[in-house]
Amino acid sequence: MSADNEQQAREQLIDLAAQFYDQFELGEIPHMDVPTRTKSNIEYDEDLDVWVYGDRTSTRSANSVRGARKLLKAVYTIEFLSDQLEQDRSSTLRELYYLSESWDNENAQFNDQDESNQLVEDLEIVSGATREDFHMRPEESGATIMGPLFLREQTRRGEREIHCQEDVGEGGYQIPNNPDTIEFLDSDAEFILCVETGGMRDRLVENGFDEEYGALIVHLKGQPARATRRITKRLHDELDIPVTVFADGDPWSYRIYASVAYGSIKSAHLSEYLATPEAQYIGIQPADIVEYDLPTDPLSDSDINALESELEDPRFQTDYWEEQIELQLDIGKKAEQQALASRGLDFVTETYLPERLEAMGVL
Amino acid sequence: MTAFQSTLGEEEGIAEELAENQRAISIAEFFEKNKHMLGFDSGARGLVTAVKEAVDNALDAAEESGILPDIYVEIEESGDYYKLIVEDNGPGLTKDSLPKVFGKLLYGSRFHKREQSRGQQGIGISAAVLYSQLTSGKPAKITSRTQGSNEAQYFELIIDTDENEPEISVDRTTTWDRPHGTRIELEMEGNMRARQQLHDYIKHTAVVNPHARLELREPQAHFKFERATDQLPEETEEIRPHPHGVELGTVIKMLSATDSHSVSGFLQEEFTRVGKKTAESVIDEFRDRHYGREMAWTPPGPHESADVAAAVTEATVNKGATATEAFATAIADAVADSDRVAHNELVAIVDSSADAVEDEHGTTFGDTVRENAAEAAWAELAGLVGDDEDEDPADETDADPDDHSRLVTDLYELADGATSTRKDDEVVHAFAVRLAGKFEDSEDTRHRFTHKTLVEFVDRAAELTEEYDDVAFGDTARENVVDAIWSVMVTVPDDPPRVRDLSGDRDATSDLVDGMRATDIMAPPTRCLSPISDDLIEAGLKKEFEADFYAAATRDAEVSGGDPFIVEAGIAYGGDLEAEGSANVMRFANRVPLVYQRGACATTDVVKSIGWRNYGLDQPGGSGVPNGPVVIMIHVASTNVPFTSESKDAVANVPEIEDEIELAIREAARELKSYLNKRRSMQKRRKKQNVLGKILPEMATKVAEVTGRAEPDIDDAIARIMNNVLVERRLEENGDGQTVEVVVENHSSTNESLAVTDIVSAEPSNLSDGATVVEMDGEWFVKWDADVSSGDEAVLTYEVSTDAAFDIDVDGVEAEKLTVTDTETNQ
Repeated sequence: MSADNEQQAREQLIDLAAQFYDQFELGEIPHMDVPTRTKSNIEYDEDLDVWVYGDRTSTRSANSVRGARKLLKAVYTIEFLSDQLEQDRSSTLRELYYLSESWDNENAQFNDQDESNQLVEDLEIVSGATREDFHMRPEESGATIMGPLFLREQTRRGEREIHCQEDVGEGGYQIPNNPDTIEFLDSDAEFILCVETGGMRDRLVENGFDEEYGALIVHLKGQPARATRRITKRLHDELDIPVTVFADGDPWSYRIYASVAYGSIKSAHLSEYLATPEAQYIGIQPADIVEYDLPTDPLSDSDINALESELEDPRFQTDYWEEQIELQLDIGKKAEQQALASRGLDFVTETYLPERLEAMGVL
Repeated sequence: MTAFQSTLGEEEGIAEELAENQRAISIAEFFEKNKHMLGFDSGARGLVTAVKEAVDNALDAAEESGILPDIYVEIEESGDYYKLIVEDNGPGLTKDSLPKVFGKLLYGSRFHKREQSRGQQGIGISAAVLYSQLTSGKPAKITSRTQGSNEAQYFELIIDTDENEPEISVDRTTTWDRPHGTRIELEMEGNMRARQQLHDYIKHTAVVNPHARLELREPQAHFKFERATDQLPEETEEIRPHPHGVELGTVIKMLSATDSHSVSGFLQEEFTRVGKKTAESVIDEFRDRHYGREMAWTPPGPHESADVAAAVTEATVNKGATATEAFATAIADAVADSDRVAHNELVAIVDSSADAVEDEHGTTFGDTVRENAAEAAWAELAGLVGDDEDEDPADETDADPDDHSRLVTDLYELADGATSTRKDDEVVHAFAVRLAGKFEDSEDTRHRFTHKTLVEFVDRAAELTEEYDDVAFGDTARENVVDAIWSVMVTVPDDPPRVRDLSGDRDATSDLVDGMRATDIMAPPTRCLSPISDDLIEAGLKKEFEADFYAAATRDAEVSGGDPFIVEAGIAYGGDLEAEGSANVMRFANRVPLVYQRGACATTDVVKSIGWRNYGLDQPGGSGVPNGPVVIMIHVASTNVPFTSESKDAVANVPEIEDEIELAIREAARELKSYLNKRRSMQKRRKKQNVLGKILPEMATKVAEVTGRAEPDIDDAIARIMNNVLVERRLEENGDGQTVEVVVENHSSTNESLAVTDIVSAEPSNLSDGATVVEMDGEWFVKWDADVSSGDEAVLTYEVSTDAAFDIDVDGVEAEKLTVTDTETNQ
């Protein structure tokens, strides 16, 4: 299946080059249209429950020197990607940026990595393939999984079968850049617990929370990478278990939850493939700050602005979120996950999580 | 002085003794001591000035006779001196006038003329002769041949500075190769340190005299400036002075010289732009100044006690009741019908009423009766009643406040209308009462006053009002009141004095001059001026400067000090002009280049004051002469260019002239701006074209590589991107021959007109409409003019044998906008 995808991706890239070719031949100005990738062009897809791009498009046209350079770079990148797929190799986004330096044409070289990243996103959108299909990897190391899951990963050195508790160290199983190379063999997991911070993840592992409750602990590492979101969605879809998100009690963490659940702006073209609309938020909730009397920091101005803009954000237009955000604005405080340690190191695994998960109907 | 004073009285004849030492100095002697005033202050400059004077003279002489000037200037070293030779092809000078022209200062034909010419005072060339004889001690050698004469006349002369007369040492006939013209040879002390100025002078002269051929040979250089046109400058005509520019002394002189008897005739005869109507206007202005105006009062209303009819009836005796009544009623009606009545108008009314009643009733109304009637009626109108005439004490009490209020009401209305609405009614009323008092107290019961007297009245009344009512009555308010009253006052019908009376009356003449200045008079005619014209300025600039752009502007004529003038400006930009440093500013007055005293010249001041950045030029600090490859040329043509000194190096700062200079420069600069803008956008386009011209083929190559196809044709796409006009040849085999299509696609946003020439090596046939073919040396020139509107295309087709070669040439579209793709031919 994955080889098919790659073949298809390659064909789609070459089709794009052919499109430029035809435009030249017809005496048209070579161009390509891509959806405008700004917040204002993100729409909520009612059917899929995720965020997708709206109807507005931007045209990359050879009409200007800038536009012509962009298209030239696109064609060079297309050639590079199609060669890479043909040779079944892969590279990182950063490598692409540096690689452009070796191209014979100065006009085709990238000025900075944002430019090359953006171009790859453009190509994803226009070709309908993903960058994983192009064999392009992001830089950041993937996040980890710890929990009762047995899987088989297609690695460059052959197939590996790994149990995510028994075959891994304290660090857990490293999620590969393309999680679609993984096959889930067996699982005793009851639910998925996505954790924002490394400190809390380690606490849960040390306290044996995964074993005790059959939890698949996915470490998000802040804003989750695509691979992390993709594997979360696949685990949810294929194992049919609930997904929960455990993060700090501040507006930025709510957005981490939103990107797991509904998708992000930069990858809205892949929301269907990355987002898990069924994901539930555990906490820290503003209500928890009050209920457990957690140590807090005051809200900064930017926190307040972020909360207020979340009140406007359709992703948070539910009674639950409105109530929580307004409560937080009211108390003017935020709390980290680790603040639970003020009640003792075991409080989170023995009291807080079981209570919350029960209340959410997960346990 | 003290020494003389101490001896005063003791010794007689001091004054006589002193007087013996006092004597008239000749003008030549004066200039001998004041050479700098004529531009001969140094050896370097003296040489340039001498060239300048000789060349100016030569140009004037040739042009006046309708000859295209051909002037040769030579400077050669001659021992310690320089020898200057100037030859022209002018009409030559007669044997009588020649010595005077060269050997007498202030001898010339142009000083008294209002007509544009280079020389004006008749000093120039004789000053050069004087300078030469002072420095080298050698006489001027002059050869002249008049048109049609067989021989030339040769003179050697010096100027007798005591007498300001030429002194001829050699006078003989000679032969000369020029058919007519004059040659002057002067030897003088000098040096060539001012070589640059000399070259500038000659070069600049060539720019503004494109009809002249100039040649300069000096020890280190030799230039020739050929003609750019065979068209002589339009001949100028002398004009009479314009009333706005003459001074009192001149008018007095003109008055004593004129043949006219009446002032009106004098004005019409002696001045330009004065006809009967204008003369009348001038005379009215004169009357206002000389005689003053008469105050016109509103006629009494029915509610007022002033009764014109009753007063007239009372004043008219022995004329019978009916006639008297008719007379009184006629006057009263006429008065009541008027808006305002002044004394002279009332007299006229009385006269016409008297005439009418005389006709009807057969009663004679003599002068005395009329005068009495007019006086009585005026007394009523002007509120003079009650003082002596009306003795009835019962009337007195009634009449007094009313009489006052007649004038007061009138003046109050005027003052109230003229002053700001914030002024209190009470104050204005009090002011009106005081002003009315001035009128009543005045000796002239006709209420005839000059503007000056009126101002005094108003000032006095205003001062009293300020003093007693403790309010401000400022200058503006006073002026407004004066204006309001003056405007209702009436010009008197008195006849102006005869010319012979006027000429002896300085004050009256002064009133006349003031009147002339105050009257609106059409600008003087411009046929006395000979501007270069914008076309010829451009031609002149093109001739002498290799630039990319030329613009010129000629303004309409304006007047300054009675002398009409025209300002012209020209600008050249780019090309081979020096890009470093500031612009080259060329100044001209009456076609003569101004070389010295650049900083003192009005033209330079104006150039510096213009914000050149607005016109796309670099101007450090936002003021001063702009930088860059620019030549700015300014020409002031006038019947009397106001120079700052006799040496005629700089135009004086006369506001009217400065304004016109600025407008002329700005007019030309606007063209420069649009040229520079266009050039910039073309540069951008070229840059874009250069970059895209590289990127797009690379992209096409890559696309072809990736898709595994042949390289695509990208010309159409490029033309469209560049908004270009694409000219493309398409060939199609057609039996033995081939069909050629030349397609013009206009991708630009404007309509384009192209001239396409396709040079074909074989004879073409079946040409499409609009195309013509001409054979030349075995090549066929297919000419085709195509008008293609924006977004459209046009096609030229013809048939030709398959072995034909082509070479296409397209005109009418900027190179930057044009993409020509000529397919490979068989050759």
